Amino acid sequence: MNSSDAAASRRRRFDELVGVYHPDMYRYAAWLSRDRTIAEDVVQESLLRAWKSLDSLRDEVAAKHWLLTIVRRENARYFERRRLDTVDVDDLTPSQEALLANEPDHELDDMRDAIYRLDDDYREPLVLQVLMGYSTNEIGELMGLRQGAVLTRLHRARLKLKDEMDDPAASGRQP
Amino acid sequence: MNCEDYRQAIATEPSYDGGGAHLSACADCREFREEMSALDQKIARALTISVPELRIPDLPAIDTTGVVPLAAHRRFRTSTWLAVAATLVLAAFVGIRMIGGNVTYPTLADEIIAHLDHEPYALRVTDEPVDDRRLAKVVPASVAAMNHDAGLITYAQTCVINGRKIPHLVIQGEQGPVTILLLPDEAVGTPVPIEGDSINGVILPVGGGSVAIIGQRDEKLEAIQQNIVNSVTWST
Repeated sequence: MNSSDAAASRRRRFDELVGVYHPDMYRYAAWLSRDRTIAEDVVQESLLRAWKSLDSLRDEVAAKHWLLTIVRRENARYFERRRLDTVDVDDLTPSQEALLANEPDHELDDMRDAIYRLDDDYREPLVLQVLMGYSTNEIGELMGLRQGAVLTRLHRARLKLKDEMDDPAASGRQP
Repeated sequence: MNCEDYRQAIATEPSYDGGGAHLSACADCREFREEMSALDQKIARALTISVPELRIPDLPAIDTTGVVPLAAHRRFRTSTWLAVAATLVLAAFVGIRMIGGNVTYPTLADEIIAHLDHEPYALRVTDEPVDDRRLAKVVPASVAAMNHDAGLITYAQTCVINGRKIPHLVIQGEQGPVTILLLPDEAVGTPVPIEGDSINGVILPVGGGSVAIIGQRDEKLEAIQQNIVNSVTWST
């Protein structure tokens, strides 16, 4: 294979990977950052980093985990660089509000709002399990947690969401 | 197992399939399980936000002279003689297609047939079901809800069709394994037949998507189709 063919093949491989996993990358970034604009920036940086280190991905089966790990690191870098303040859910920017864009289904709206309010420590494992299909072992590996901690966080996250959906007033939201 | 243990397990992972003895004896925990399952459906829907169009950034040139080609990854199972016998005809079909070299896929049906070529090991005769956790991973709540009327599911793998990840399942039919591909993003107006030398199947419209069902040539698919259509509900 000459250099030109190798470059074209590498680009095809990259395009195929990101074509398949871009929605997962974006949704993960959006729920990590709780901001659609930041998520787009994080995904752009992640794509660039993935392109540069593509040759380190030896097994396509691991591609999703590899890309989500990059997104997670890029998200952390983004917030380190910007030193962003903690988001107050009652004082959102338009791009943060966009994540909670009103749906005709109010129950869906309420659930999205409740997830948004979850602590990062609880929201992330829930996103990985429910949206990405990760096992608790895989979540622990990605987040650097013992499995017991993952189980505890998932358990608390669901109970918290259940409480909020059962009794919105108790959480301070309008019913 | 007591109620507290069971509820802890369910709240951690609603697809938890242990504690059957406790569940059958405890109506409260059955109700709790249903509540948590419904909650997870709502969580999945809420998390599945719309995604903007993919924009690839300007990518710098990379020196590829030192790149070593990847080894081909292929997973083989130890098959039983029964499985070999049941899939012999299909394997012959697969072999003939593979010899053909590069194949383009002008239609969804063509791509599906080609996909079957790539996972012949999925088509084994067995009565060993896929466990619930595996099934929940391959068919996450964000994609679809599947009840247990679908049949004996013996294989579950996330695959890619038309650039999208989809659940690839196999159930056991009367004549052998039957492939089920859940295609929530592939709308078809009317049933599309899938025909090959040793297979018969159909892509059925289901809601805003479709489901492909492919069995051996002499498999009666009508009952299977009905069960699958009734057991699948798209989440979005």
